[in-house]
Amino acid sequence: MTPLQFERDYGPVWDELEAALKGLAAGKRRWFKRQPKEPPAEPAAPPDAARLALLYRSACEHLALARARAYPAHLTARLAALTQRAHELIYRRSDYGAARFARLFLIDFPQAVRAHQGYVLVAGLGFGLPLVLLGIATWFDPGFILTMHDATTVRNYEQMYGPAAHSIGRERGADTDWMMFGFYIRNNIGIAFQCFASGIFLGLGSLFFLAYNGITAGSLAGYLTARGHGETFYSFVITHGAFELTAIVLAGAAGLRLGHALLAPGRRTRRAALELAAAESAVLVYGVVAMLLIAAGIEAFWSSARWVAPAVKFAVGGVCWLLVASYLVWQGRPRTKLEG
Amino acid sequence: MNAPLDTLYTAETPEGVALELRPAGLVARGYAFVIDAAIRYALLIAVSGMLSAMSRFGSGVFFILFFVTEWLYPVLFELLPGSATPGKRALNLRVVMDSGLPVTPAASLVRNLLRAADFLPAMYVFGGLMLLLRPDFKRIGDLAAGTLVVHTAAAGLHGPLADAEPLAPARPLSAREQAAVIAWAGRATRLTEARLGELALLAAPIVGMSATGEPAPNPERTTKQLLGVAQWLVGRR
Repeated sequence: MTPLQFERDYGPVWDELEAALKGLAAGKRRWFKRQPKEPPAEPAAPPDAARLALLYRSACEHLALARARAYPAHLTARLAALTQRAHELIYRRSDYGAARFARLFLIDFPQAVRAHQGYVLVAGLGFGLPLVLLGIATWFDPGFILTMHDATTVRNYEQMYGPAAHSIGRERGADTDWMMFGFYIRNNIGIAFQCFASGIFLGLGSLFFLAYNGITAGSLAGYLTARGHGETFYSFVITHGAFELTAIVLAGAAGLRLGHALLAPGRRTRRAALELAAAESAVLVYGVVAMLLIAAGIEAFWSSARWVAPAVKFAVGGVCWLLVASYLVWQGRPRTKLEG
Repeated sequence: MNAPLDTLYTAETPEGVALELRPAGLVARGYAFVIDAAIRYALLIAVSGMLSAMSRFGSGVFFILFFVTEWLYPVLFELLPGSATPGKRALNLRVVMDSGLPVTPAASLVRNLLRAADFLPAMYVFGGLMLLLRPDFKRIGDLAAGTLVVHTAAAGLHGPLADAEPLAPARPLSAREQAAVIAWAGRATRLTEARLGELALLAAPIVGMSATGEPAPNPERTTKQLLGVAQWLVGRR
């Protein structure tokens, strides 16, 4: 069969496939734009799926034939472009939307956290140990904080959490809440992303940022406790801390997963192990972002409110910790337990 | 077949067809990055002017916007149809999965968060080195996410065959010889006439002349005749 004959015989198939793809793409674009200005001029019949698959498969066959027989380059190029477009449209994922979103937070995220238990534990220790140790150290010797922060910063912190401040955490006007909301989003989610991304350096980056943040927070907590501002400080941090501290630890755990994949890839190549780890830990990152958004909202509008009695804040904060813990432990488990 | 000299990346589809992707290298992606950076900062500056009128509420919005442009700008654009940031779009680049499929949200998030790793130790040194070292031009984020940045438009080296009177070759041609003649004819529109003739002379025996030619090699006539052979080979009689 000569190339011309080939083109003559199968050209109609390619044309039909091309038209069908155009119809599909147009349909997709219309959905994306939401409201078509005018009703579509020619109601391009939605291409029949079975027919489309048939057309696609024969175009693939023709491409293989054309390549094997070394047909003219423009012919194979046309077929290659055609099959590539069809491949993209046929194999694209289409399970996005509200259901997928709900599934992410109802099932996938808590499950991913449990699947990464070991990493969460290590990240928790990497964050918690410096936090507690430095907390105790500065509690016994408040001067110790000066090794971590300079004197001006310490004085600022003391003013913010001291009894004189009329809203906790920062000095506040009414719309300052909004400013701080934005600030917390930028700052905290940025820290979490750093904890995750730096994990690719064999996990060392994650451990560093976890420890660093643990040291900063721990020394501050210990210092303020020693200075007698404990009640103000803890009532400020307890509620959003439930989300924020957990999220930072989870981000670190996701980073450790990346580093571990490179360090001990198991029976995969390092690259395959890294790709798998990245895909699985991305679920954690989604959850982390959501938790930090919640934390930023709470921190800006609730934690800093002076008019709420500390006792109420402690109660609400305690409930939040319980909620977060039980969400991560129990949410998304199958209803009936498997035996054995 | 010998290993290709260029950086084509082949992805195989379930149908057994090899898709050829053209990964984009440091220069194209560098330009795209500069364009994107310019857009981001222009946006921030423009908006900060507007928001400063709204005092603190405005600066809250500004912080959020800063965060979004810092981390999520590429993710947002890569998930739109076309899967490319404006900078990449301007250079005809797009982000795809290793399989040639459109990039998924998780992959886009991973590759853009790991920018932080590519950025180290400063000014994207790691990312740049990766681009220079790897034939598929993947930076660390691309490796982890399993993505590629590819050129959307292929440079068209071959056009349809140039028109000529069909002519039977002087002797039977092997499959490889046929392919070579057809490929040569497909490039007729892109090569200069002199070069085309020069190449045609190499194949002079096919059109029934000795390569040295009698009385002298005639590139124009050989070109015309060889184009005719190509036409004959693709099936015109």
